[in-house]
Amino acid sequence: MPIKTKTFIRRAEREDLDTVVAWMEDPDFVEFLYGDPARSPKQIRERIVAMLGRTASQTVPGSVYLIIDSEDEGPIGLLSLQNISWRNRSCSLDVYLGHKKARNHLVGAIAFYRTMQYCFEELNLHRITAYIYSFNRASWSIMEKVGAMRELTLREHVARDGKLHDVYCYGLLRREFEAFREANPKLVAGVMESMMERQSEEARES
Amino acid sequence: MITGANAVIRTAEPDDGAFLKAFYDPALPRSCLLDQRRELIVPTLDEVREVLAQKEQGRSVFYAVEDLEGQVRGFCSLRGLNQEAGYSEFIVILVDDADFGRPLATEVFEFLTRRAFYDVRLNKVMTHALGCEAAYRAYLLRHGFKSDGVQREAVFTLGRWHDLEAFTLFRSDVPSLAVEAVCP
Repeated sequence: MPIKTKTFIRRAEREDLDTVVAWMEDPDFVEFLYGDPARSPKQIRERIVAMLGRTASQTVPGSVYLIIDSEDEGPIGLLSLQNISWRNRSCSLDVYLGHKKARNHLVGAIAFYRTMQYCFEELNLHRITAYIYSFNRASWSIMEKVGAMRELTLREHVARDGKLHDVYCYGLLRREFEAFREANPKLVAGVMESMMERQSEEARES
Repeated sequence: MITGANAVIRTAEPDDGAFLKAFYDPALPRSCLLDQRRELIVPTLDEVREVLAQKEQGRSVFYAVEDLEGQVRGFCSLRGLNQEAGYSEFIVILVDDADFGRPLATEVFEFLTRRAFYDVRLNKVMTHALGCEAAYRAYLLRHGFKSDGVQREAVFTLGRWHDLEAFTLFRSDVPSLAVEAVCP
């Protein structure tokens, strides 16, 4: 069945700062963040300010931050493309769903699908890498559903609450993404249709 | 300075820069010299010297490996220390691939694992090997490293994609050091 959605991605703006900071103060959200959990709120805020303050003036940016937005709910998550290599045509991807209502497979899968489209069809990348905690089953199962391969299992790689946890590294190549699209034409058509509807609405409004 | 039966291991100096720079050879890509984006880089001599001058920071000390005649045969390092999770990156680069099968390389392995597991008390060390680094890969497996998997088509150089394999060695995989590590 085709999926129609009002979810879309856009570049992160400075106006998104308060929303993102609020997510960062939610322990349920922070648990899945990659990096040092002991960072202070000040450090987190400074990092986000620096991140959102970056402009597109660089012709070959090393990182891109996108907001997952929804017509109904407003900003619901953050997508981060890091370590973009224009030589290897690769990047590493982090998807954070901040809005509690949005933490479900469908929103995550749609956001991820849109990001893949952006990476492969706009940035012309060859490969996406995602490092995901082993206990974040919701995230890595989305990766598997869209055809990404679990390439590495990094045992005892991250410390959380006094315990060491494994980290999985997923890799998705452009040809695998294209194969996924060919195998799921109805689903893709639904997502495309809703995107086109949104663009038409925007054109009418402007 | 550590003087072994086959190798002398000492802290690398900025004067070793020209020798280390020669390892950044686009025709012979080495996984441990890729940057954070996994890109092959060719630094300037000044940049290499700067890396070697960072020894005071103590987080990513480069060591020069010499043979007993005083010729530099390569470099080794533990870098990217993650104190919280207790791991670091293990690096050995040798000018001649055949050296990986010689006692000199075994002494380098013993030196780095002793530093990692006994001195710094890490839980594990990690490293990578490109598909074209067969000698380094064999060296790692011979010394107990286990593969964590392969990142497919992760590096582009020499007109084609290269796979990048990750390896880990846990302290518990080195029996002699595991026993020592529990002793204060």
